[in-house]
Amino acid sequence: MELMGIIKGRRAVRKFADKEIPRENLVKILEAAIWAPSGSNTQSWEFILVTEKENIEKIKLISPGLFGNPKALVIVCINTERAKKGGREGIEMAKMDIAMASQNMMLMAHSLSIGSCPIVSFNKVALKELLDIPDSIDPKLILIFGYPEKWPRAPGRRPLKEVVHIEKFGEHIEE
Amino acid sequence: MKNSENILKNKHFQLLSFLLTSARGCVDEPQIYGPLRLLDAASRVIELMEEEKKITPELLTLKEKINRCIDVLMYDEDEFVKMLDDISKDLGRIIKDNNK
Ligand SMILES: Cc1cc2nc3c(=O)[nH]c(=O)nc-3n(C[C@H](O)[C@H](O)[C@H](O)COP(=O)(O)O)c2cc1C
Repeated sequence: MELMGIIKGRRAVRKFADKEIPRENLVKILEAAIWAPSGSNTQSWEFILVTEKENIEKIKLISPGLFGNPKALVIVCINTERAKKGGREGIEMAKMDIAMASQNMMLMAHSLSIGSCPIVSFNKVALKELLDIPDSIDPKLILIFGYPEKWPRAPGRRPLKEVVHIEKFGEHIEE
Repeated sequence: MKNSENILKNKHFQLLSFLLTSARGCVDEPQIYGPLRLLDAASRVIELMEEEKKITPELLTLKEKINRCIDVLMYDEDEFVKMLDDISKDLGRIIKDNNK
């Protein structure tokens, strides 16, 4: 699949088939994460891979925004100690870094026909307690993975001519 | 119920956990997620009624509508609100018909 096809075809998938994801594919997805860019190459990220059904079920209990039965979760965290190396903007930058790592993972997954969805609606306090996450590690996003039952249709996008500004703000692209 | 593993599989506990974490989530999340969580909870309540064999065909139809309504939110918020009104109307009818 060519890159634009992967980018446009990725969807937030919330219904999954009952089919395991091979370990090597999960490793590929995680490898895609660490090759994302990061501010000053700080790499203030940590990734917690969860594949045991029982553990996924426990995380679902405290994640109101997590739908369906994914086969794997990656909890994307900011290592706040490392992020301090980025100066006063360190945490802001780390948020951008983990966003890029997350997109890499979701695109890699899609190229392997694996569906994903980013989940921000989970209870951080309960998750930290549940997974023994230390104080300095801040879980920001859960990525869920599984083979889609079906690929959902795409929600709309604001058009290029509205969101792109040419040379200065307010000058829009011709279509 | 003695050990905690059992309670995690208990549908009432699952709903309780969903409600508590939703309560915290709603403090920071977009306003429209409030109705979304309530609908999700409503769907789970109907599932519980189903398991406890306290279900009626009207409620099963209502559950299907609720689940469709949840799906619509990401695509069309106006349609979501219309469907909520439709669900409210169905509920009114169910209550009216059961009062005869
Ligand atoms: C930062 C972030 C947080 C999200 N959190 C949730 C979530 O908690 N639950 C959920 O079902 N979807 C969540 N989504 C998925 C979005 O709803 C979805 O990406 C959006 O509707 C666009 O659909 P698409 O990804 O299929 O293009 C999140 C997406 C992002 C980027």
